[in-house]
Amino acid sequence: MLVFRKPLTNVERPQMPADVVIVGGGPAGMACALRLSQLIDQHNAKNPDSQLSKENIYVLEKAREIGQHCLSGALLDPRSMRELLPGFEKEAPIDSEVTKEAVYFLTQKGKFKFPITPPPLRDHGNYVISLNRFVKWLGGKVEETGITIFTGFAGSELLLDGDRVTGVRTDDKGVDKQNQPKSNFEPGYDLQAKIVILAEGTRGSLTKQLIARFALDRDRNPQTYGQGIKELWEVPAGRIAPGEVIYTMGWPLTTKEYGGAWIYGGKDNVVSLGFVVGLDYPDPRLDPQRVLQEFKKHPLVARLLEGGKMIRYGAKSLPYGGWWSIPPVAGDGWMILGDSAGFLNSQRLKGIHLAIKSGMLAAETAFEAMAKDDYSLDVLEKFQERVDKSWIKEELWPVRNFHQGFDRGFLSGMMHAGVQQMTGGRGVRPHYSNHAGHLRMKQLSQLPADGGAEAHIINAAKGDGKLTFDKLTDVYYSGTKHEEDQPAHLVIHDTNICNERCVREFGNPCKNFCPASVYEMVEAPDTPGGLQIHLNASNCVHCKTCDIMDPYEIITWVPPEGGGGPNYEGM
Amino acid sequence: MADSILVIVEQREGKLNRVSWETLTAGQALAAETGWTLEAAVAGSGVTNLANEIAGKKVAKVYALESPKLEPYTPDAFAAGLKQFIASKQPRLVLMPHTYQVRDFVPKLTTAMERTAISDCIGYKKDGARLLFTRQMFQGKLAADVSFTCDAPWFVTFQNGAFRADKVEAGSAAAPVETVNVEIADGIIRNKPQEVFKEAKQAVDLTQAEIIVSVGRGIKEQKNIELAKQLAEALGGELAASRPICDSGWLPMDRQIGSSGQTVAPKLYLALGISGAIQHIVGMKGARTIIAINKDSEAPIFEIADYAVVGNLFDIVPPLIEEVKKAKAGA
Repeated sequence: MLVFRKPLTNVERPQMPADVVIVGGGPAGMACALRLSQLIDQHNAKNPDSQLSKENIYVLEKAREIGQHCLSGALLDPRSMRELLPGFEKEAPIDSEVTKEAVYFLTQKGKFKFPITPPPLRDHGNYVISLNRFVKWLGGKVEETGITIFTGFAGSELLLDGDRVTGVRTDDKGVDKQNQPKSNFEPGYDLQAKIVILAEGTRGSLTKQLIARFALDRDRNPQTYGQGIKELWEVPAGRIAPGEVIYTMGWPLTTKEYGGAWIYGGKDNVVSLGFVVGLDYPDPRLDPQRVLQEFKKHPLVARLLEGGKMIRYGAKSLPYGGWWSIPPVAGDGWMILGDSAGFLNSQRLKGIHLAIKSGMLAAETAFEAMAKDDYSLDVLEKFQERVDKSWIKEELWPVRNFHQGFDRGFLSGMMHAGVQQMTGGRGVRPHYSNHAGHLRMKQLSQLPADGGAEAHIINAAKGDGKLTFDKLTDVYYSGTKHEEDQPAHLVIHDTNICNERCVREFGNPCKNFCPASVYEMVEAPDTPGGLQIHLNASNCVHCKTCDIMDPYEIITWVPPEGGGGPNYEGM
Repeated sequence: MADSILVIVEQREGKLNRVSWETLTAGQALAAETGWTLEAAVAGSGVTNLANEIAGKKVAKVYALESPKLEPYTPDAFAAGLKQFIASKQPRLVLMPHTYQVRDFVPKLTTAMERTAISDCIGYKKDGARLLFTRQMFQGKLAADVSFTCDAPWFVTFQNGAFRADKVEAGSAAAPVETVNVEIADGIIRNKPQEVFKEAKQAVDLTQAEIIVSVGRGIKEQKNIELAKQLAEALGGELAASRPICDSGWLPMDRQIGSSGQTVAPKLYLALGISGAIQHIVGMKGARTIIAINKDSEAPIFEIADYAVVGNLFDIVPPLIEEVKKAKAGA
């Protein structure tokens, strides 16, 4: 019997006042904290009589250590970092500047190189980084300022007073599988905050609560997503230069799926490679982890990796929807940053620089509120204005219709992308709409039993143990770890749908799209389909794909006990 | 209201625990700083000897709170007895060690006295006339100073290790000991204490086992675990399992082998119906000899097995048990 996590009721919770609580210590949250500290320092230097304190500014981070849950390709566009910390290159952990780039269209065995690199994929001047190491470094800077980072604490609920967000409740610790307190039980804290800043990453769980509570997705395009699966490899010397960047389109995807791969050469013969699959594919049997395995079998990749060793694995979802999908980012008591808001350029596949910039702008807004001692909606809403006037909009506006152009597949997408390129992003209509990705999933009865053209990317990968891996082996290399004796944090609102409907209609796509083998259908003679949903919650790598892609929208991802999750060392 | 500090020490089976001495050290330090009188109390039945032991330390007075109803410990009796005593003495500050027993009765005691307790403190500060007590928050990342807004008596418990037991000062002469007979009316005690038990030590130490019989999902049903257990008994080994078995609650978690369980290196590891995901392998690959029985010839466990048996474990294990028994009987 599955018991799901929810904050315990009838417990007395410690209360703690705060000026600013930032939920999530990724690039957005850390940049926000650091910028806020800089502004306070400047203010305090100028105003000896009205000093502002950083003592009540807190960052909540669910990972045990800073950066542990941070994963990206990653290429960093340095624009915002140069604003935040001029000359940061001298001390930040950077693998290499981009030295060489190529884009290929792949067929099963062959490849076509694009004669010129399309402008959005030109990366000269960008840096190859490990986001994990980068955020660890940035977090160290934040800690030096005196701002407290609570690692191992997740935001589990928003505190509200009428229509104002008044704080964040942290996760209950020491709760057993049946949702009962154990002897080490510690109730979550109620952080009563003047400003709550949500920087939780894609599909943040508090952000989701906020969007639902205030219908912030009204008059917006639905957010659409991609799932990035990454492996880090150590390869024999000489295979790829540090700073060498390769993008591919095509194989193993067909014209019905959106996505592509990256290969980045890092330091010390380490290669970052991964595949992003749009979470709007039609076949519920498609398995994105298998897509990456098939991709590695392509001669271009197999040659690169031969004799090498896979050292890390991870997965993350990313928001593709672009400008039309971004909800209002400020309101009464709250602001939303980075991937939680959807600040990602889907054409360039880059979001770190926008996350950082959004954090800086939120910091300016929070600082204004602190300096004026005015935390009203009027002051906080200026964050929205700041975003609209900044280069965030300048960058995202011309690509506002990019991803929606691919709504009907790869070929028409390329056509739209071309027209948009020529018309400053407008394309053939001013506002391309789209559909939420999970709505495009087809039922099994509408699909060929053998998978048809997708036969090679549906169902689980087997893995040869050298070049390719089965999913469970990959999950091992994510380093993910959770307290086993806790309720399931993948909250399925009605498991009867899994066992009785989904099993027939979609064949339980959760077991395919989950990159960490959390979802499993186990034999159960008593159910109509003979199968029943089972969760291996401790395998979870916190990518949120299930929350996004489940066709019935009955899965809610909530944070497990703080401290649990992947260990993305070097990712 | 007396200007006094009362330390309530904890005894179990006629012995004082170390953290009681630590709390006494805290009491001495607080008394020195406030100038208040330090007194101590020990509750139970026949505790005069313990009271005398405390009287050797630097305290003004020691009370032996006596009642046959205080032994064995019950929260009802302790709350009632201590309430009576504290109400009569009216100390300003009541200090206790933050033990399981204190955690058990203090909420009841303080609520009955319409007070609150600041629990699990790691230190104190004096802020003018006000006393602040330091508590850890966010798993020790922050320390909060907390003070009382209610009237005295103020109840405080100190964390194990917050003060040093060896720093407790001896008195120049033995302090007077007063025996106080507390009256606990019939019907007060609603708790029926059971035998004291020690928390079961990990019932099994798999890391020391020379032979381990381990089951995986191939065992199919909980009732089939019995089969593996019989084999383990016949071999004189321990029973263990892969994660799905413990996750389903078929065996306790302390028998789980693998990355989220124990790492073992027995002389013989017999894997029944275990596919051999890397998460399991990392917990047992150090075994000297690995025998794997699995019906899937491609199961990854066979890659590290010294003896690979492809077949149905339900056909193989029962005769194996018989053979082992025979062999052992013969030997």
